[in-house]
Amino acid sequence: MPSSQTPPAGGTALDPTAVRPDIDDARILRVAPAELRATLERLKGEGFAMLLDVGAADYPGREPARFDVVYHLLRLDARATTIAGVGTPERVRVLCAVGEPDPVVPTVTDLWPSADWAEREIYDLYGVRFDGHPDLRRIQMPDDWEGYPLRKDYPLRGPARERTPRPSFALKSNVAAGTPASGKTAAALQRQIAQARGQNAVNVKTEDKNP
Amino acid sequence: MAIGSDSPGDFLLTTVDSVARWAQSSSVWPLTMGLACCAIEMMTATAPEYDIARLGSEVFRASPRQADLMIVSGRLAKKMAPVIKRLYDQMAEPKWVISMGACASSGGIFDNYAIVQGVDTVIPVDVYMPGCPPTPDGLLYAVNLIQQQIKQGGRGGILARA
Repeated sequence: MPSSQTPPAGGTALDPTAVRPDIDDARILRVAPAELRATLERLKGEGFAMLLDVGAADYPGREPARFDVVYHLLRLDARATTIAGVGTPERVRVLCAVGEPDPVVPTVTDLWPSADWAEREIYDLYGVRFDGHPDLRRIQMPDDWEGYPLRKDYPLRGPARERTPRPSFALKSNVAAGTPASGKTAAALQRQIAQARGQNAVNVKTEDKNP
Repeated sequence: MAIGSDSPGDFLLTTVDSVARWAQSSSVWPLTMGLACCAIEMMTATAPEYDIARLGSEVFRASPRQADLMIVSGRLAKKMAPVIKRLYDQMAEPKWVISMGACASSGGIFDNYAIVQGVDTVIPVDVYMPGCPPTPDGLLYAVNLIQQQIKQGGRGGILARA
């Protein structure tokens, strides 16, 4: 059975709720940004007193909203009517899709103070704004940082070094760029890489027979 | 140094410099500063099994004003870089720096947007240690190299590079 955690192929969008089954004790709700605030207020009224975490995910290419903001709620119900229900935690996960150019959702810091730093983190790393947040500053990256590093289109090595060659001597990207300083040809290096990785062993052999 | 044994009362001849270097190299006090997993090895070096006290470096100082040696023990985030620079500037001359481990020396496995690719882009480094993480023995050896530098007249910090 293929894993449901397989990342989407380049450019395609994948809705996680479509491929992942509900977790036993968690309901998953998907709401629009306009209904988010009302939904969360209602859930809090129903006894979901704990906001465990606020997360976000980026699905580049998904239209019209590439980001998911995810709220993890927990209820430890003191009003349980059965013995088995006492102390049984109940979880709800609320997903809200927001898109560019200005991804913004209302803050919930007034409902759950624990949302404060979580929302700042999402703002810092994904660039999703939280309308009404009392102190929406970057929390992990330096204050003068540009860009949002956890967006999938953010270059891993940062914008400044994106195009500089990596120091490793036998990476495929370097090989493709041309003959390295060692003088070995790209084909020879590619064969060396394949042998080292134990992959494509058959292809390497046929290459040798028919140069 | 020379020991005068011919005279009735034994005495010691030396110069201020060599005594100062001997004292300095025997009490290299590191700054209490751990950045990442290398700091665990640094702590181990202070524990009884390795016992960095044998080299005179047991007194980790919490204040940069009292420290002689900065051990950059781990990967340096870009947000932390100004802090490291400031701590280094606050240390009194003469001062020395050990870049402990692959991450501190070159960025190591963290070839990404968040990590400084070598602390020598921020502060001058006297001894680079390889390893991921280096063993406590390695740290003892690095401190030993610092001591050798001091004994050979190295003054550390900016003056050593002048």
